[in-house]
Amino acid sequence: MAHIEKAQVGALRFNISAGTFHKFSALLTLVILVVVFSFGNAAFLSVNNGLTILLQTSVIGLLGIGMTMVIITGGIDLSVGSVLALSGTVTGMMVKSGLPVVPAMLLGVLTGAACGLFNGFVITKMRITPFVATLGMMLIARGFALQLTGAAPISRLGDAFGVLGNGALFRIVEQGNNGFPRVVFPGIPYPAILLVVVAVIAAYLLNRRQIGRHIYAVGSNEEAARLAGVEVHRTKLIAYSLSGALAGLSGIVLMSRLITAQPNEGVMYELDAIAAAVIGGASLMGGVGSISGTMIGGFIIGVLRNGLNMGGVSSFIQQIVIGFVVIGAVYIDQIRNRR
Amino acid sequence: MATASQTNTPLVEMIDIEKHFGGVRAVNGVSLDLFPGEVVGVLGHNGAGKSCLMRILSGAMIPNEGRIKVGGEDKTIHTPHDARDCGIETIYQSLALADHLDAPANLFLGRELKTRFGNLDEKRMMEEAAKVLHRLNPNFKNLSDPVSSLSGGQRQVIAIARAIYFNVKILIMDEPTAALGPSETAMVGELIRHLSSEGIGILLVSHDMHDVFELCDRIMVMNKGHMVGAHPIDEVSKDDVLSLIIKGGLPDGWTPRNKQLN
Repeated sequence: MAHIEKAQVGALRFNISAGTFHKFSALLTLVILVVVFSFGNAAFLSVNNGLTILLQTSVIGLLGIGMTMVIITGGIDLSVGSVLALSGTVTGMMVKSGLPVVPAMLLGVLTGAACGLFNGFVITKMRITPFVATLGMMLIARGFALQLTGAAPISRLGDAFGVLGNGALFRIVEQGNNGFPRVVFPGIPYPAILLVVVAVIAAYLLNRRQIGRHIYAVGSNEEAARLAGVEVHRTKLIAYSLSGALAGLSGIVLMSRLITAQPNEGVMYELDAIAAAVIGGASLMGGVGSISGTMIGGFIIGVLRNGLNMGGVSSFIQQIVIGFVVIGAVYIDQIRNRR
Repeated sequence: MATASQTNTPLVEMIDIEKHFGGVRAVNGVSLDLFPGEVVGVLGHNGAGKSCLMRILSGAMIPNEGRIKVGGEDKTIHTPHDARDCGIETIYQSLALADHLDAPANLFLGRELKTRFGNLDEKRMMEEAAKVLHRLNPNFKNLSDPVSSLSGGQRQVIAIARAIYFNVKILIMDEPTAALGPSETAMVGELIRHLSSEGIGILLVSHDMHDVFELCDRIMVMNKGHMVGAHPIDEVSKDDVLSLIIKGGLPDGWTPRNKQLN
């Protein structure tokens, strides 16, 4: 009897470790990357550079969170890069026309959510595959952004517009002896704080709320979910709307950092977001994925970019490296599933 | 007297149901009734319209014509949710499980238990799932594993548990034993008898003549979208049933089996 019980406990442990195997291997990859880059360049492992990576990853991270929800439903959202640009330019135009920054930014997020809702509508009611529907929205949103601005960036948006992208919490500045301010601690960038808050809320929605359970169920077996009384269309509409809203939010963060509304921003960002989710263990077949995994995936991309930049590696080579990382991550996942 | 009149009201009546896809009439003016505690076999070869009829009753398909009465009252059943509200539960042949979710998540899918704050009540769902699953199969383990890693029998148990947990009145079972081994088949048979003794009406879709004659009180046979025969099981022989299924009619010179002279 005793050894049977032990075997069961063993089996249970094995199953748990198999379930988190991918996330663990991704986390290990991230640690190895940090160690390798630290040896390569002493400046890599500094507080300042760490905060830079946080800042740089926040946009991919925000897009990746929305993308993860959509991918878990078994879909894909190719429009996030363009929606990011449209939301950012709408916000910029509103600020330019005299609207205060906060309502203008809310309007930007709403613009993104509306694009996402439209995606969801096309996918559920018109029964168009997510790939095609969001490809269409990718062109539509980019076209709107370019048409509204005449393809010209909107600059001089004021200091208040730049706070979200450039501000930081707990920034410590003291007056130096020479009369110039000296930054003791650069502070935690607002975009990084925003990323953590959004990630926690998204993980809560996915793991603790009914909508999250239904998102997984729809991606796992859509017909079974429908027969069980899950409102499949509503679930998908919510997932795509959230993805759109987060694309809008990241657009505002990005444009705020530049203090310029750029209709050309965010090209190919959707691919970074998809890569982050996939590296983090999300399956494009649906039903599998997690916010924590996507965060790790996002930071793997962020650390790779940052480390390779500091090493003087060209951005073309960076693309090649990240491409191989995506393939490697999915390959590891397949080995896990075959076992 | 009261009980007698209660048993005279069918649990469910489907009246003149029609369903067509383009020019194809999959279900053609079919009526069906089911009384409390009754096990009715719904038979017919593939494409005869029996699955279609069952899907209509379970809310997975909307009929073009016809009415459905539950407990004597007209009901609109347009979604699986509507059907469940009427106490109609279905065990699909495919089992309709979400493979990546665990047993409690599947059992409560679409009807999740929640805490006061609207969060998923994982603890209570796990406890309730353990209770109902262990009643069906005392050896059921791996409650927190994704159901894709479970055996066919365990998956069937989850599908059954999901149907009987929520105050079922009418149970539709689509080929419940097709994928099961002998001991699991026996378990399902026992379960059907137990549920019918509690007054639950069961519609059993099956190809297995042995199961049908073992378990059913009555059979209804469909052929090419029509209902071609509805008989108490002791009226017909296996050959009669096969004739209904294949030819759409009883053999020439048929007399009820229970009234035949030896």
